[in-house]
Amino acid sequence: MPPGLDALKHIVVLMMENRSFDHMLGSLKAVNPLIDGVDGTQWNPDTQGNKVFAQPLAEFQSQLDPDPDHHFPAVDLQIFNGDQSNPRVANMQGFVKSYYQQRKDLAHSQKIMYYFPEDKLPVLTSLATNFAVFNRWFASIPGPTICNRAFAHYGTSFGQVGMKMFYPHGKSIYERLEDAGHTAKLYYFDQASSTMEVVNLLQHQPQLFGTYDQFLADCKSGKLSDYSFVEPNYTDHDNDNGAQLASDQHPDHNIQAGELYIASVYNAIRSNPALWASTALLIVYDEHGGIFDHVPPPACIPDGYSAGPADTELNFTFNFDRLGVRVPAILISPWVPKGIVVDSERVFEHASIPATVTKQFIGNYTASTPREQAAQTFLDLLSLDTMRTDSLVFST
Amino acid sequence: MTKAKPHTNEPGIRSRGAIEESTPQLAGDYISIRVPIPPASAFNRDRPITSLIQSQLKHIHHAESARLLKHKRVGIKLEDIRTEAEAATYIAAVTKVLHPKGQKKSKPQPGN
Repeated sequence: MPPGLDALKHIVVLMMENRSFDHMLGSLKAVNPLIDGVDGTQWNPDTQGNKVFAQPLAEFQSQLDPDPDHHFPAVDLQIFNGDQSNPRVANMQGFVKSYYQQRKDLAHSQKIMYYFPEDKLPVLTSLATNFAVFNRWFASIPGPTICNRAFAHYGTSFGQVGMKMFYPHGKSIYERLEDAGHTAKLYYFDQASSTMEVVNLLQHQPQLFGTYDQFLADCKSGKLSDYSFVEPNYTDHDNDNGAQLASDQHPDHNIQAGELYIASVYNAIRSNPALWASTALLIVYDEHGGIFDHVPPPACIPDGYSAGPADTELNFTFNFDRLGVRVPAILISPWVPKGIVVDSERVFEHASIPATVTKQFIGNYTASTPREQAAQTFLDLLSLDTMRTDSLVFST
Repeated sequence: MTKAKPHTNEPGIRSRGAIEESTPQLAGDYISIRVPIPPASAFNRDRPITSLIQSQLKHIHHAESARLLKHKRVGIKLEDIRTEAEAATYIAAVTKVLHPKGQKKSKPQPGN
């Protein structure tokens, strides 16, 4: 076993909200051509047939208002540009048209093509270029948050392509781990932000939950669970510490607040030497939020479910046989070689999370879903023979 | 050495404070990266809620209805919730019941 895997005791996943790969990390193509980002040649037609090119003009806030539509019908338009024939080709040409439908404002619709220049996102881009960035990590469903986040917890969305998720009947990765004698925790930001997608778990198994303050304390004391899932703050609100900015980066929340949050999670792990040596941190986004990405989502192993027209709101049934739009994903560990780009031949999705955690801590587990069984795992990236001594430190 | 306490009247202070509290003191080869602080104008507790928060409210409400007897419920109607701060107030009230351990422990006051 590689020494990094031998040393690995903790896996931490931080899942952010609603930004595409090209939007956040696409500019890194100029830094490393192996990173499959944007170079100014990518474009979409607007509703008048003009070419709208991807440009490094993204702003921290107030640009993507209203929130770009990312429900199933809108994402289908973004990926297939309105083609509903069978078979059809995913061409990623419908983003501007989709955003135009919300405000009927031609100039505003073009902003969906904007991405961040590298220097505007110092946390995310420095982590991506110093650790491992994935060229092909896709949302699990071409749809919104809840069904996508479900794949991270259950390896399936139980046939949902939308926001309904009340009584999932499978075992979450947290319950699996507890059953196998391991420890797991979901850390939400605070009680006013709470958990987003697994209220059912909060209702029935509150022992699985902690707060962000507890996460910081657990990192400091070295008492982190085997597996931790960290949620950002989903709203601007006040608590005992004063005004709290939403840190999830969901449009129209401030992107810099999310950068701070990512940095704080990283720092919390990094500042405990023993924890740093024994932890792999995955930073990933749940879905693209309706924002442009140029890589067509590939077909995938069907999930064993079907969503009919009543659920897809389109004239066809979706068989969970195609992934959603590509999202940013970065794996951080001192055992990961510096600046590696995970090959485009390797396709990851959110089912890769429970698949990886299960493989590492439980081993053989036959009850996982077809999607999870087929999912790529990522701990082979901890491939160094000796631990890195170089590092990043974030400060304000 | 005592670290200076972060200011408490700026938005996003918990993340900022956490960075300051946990900035590693490293020996050896490291790159120090400065993280910009969002402007105070970024904070808007009156921002209308998105479909994401509406969905979270439904889930939280579902849990509240299932878990609490009628007279013990929070007494806020979902249809009256329009802003992020209003949503946060309701979500905090229900989460407090579902997960009392998530309450922030109050720190002892100096001199007590």
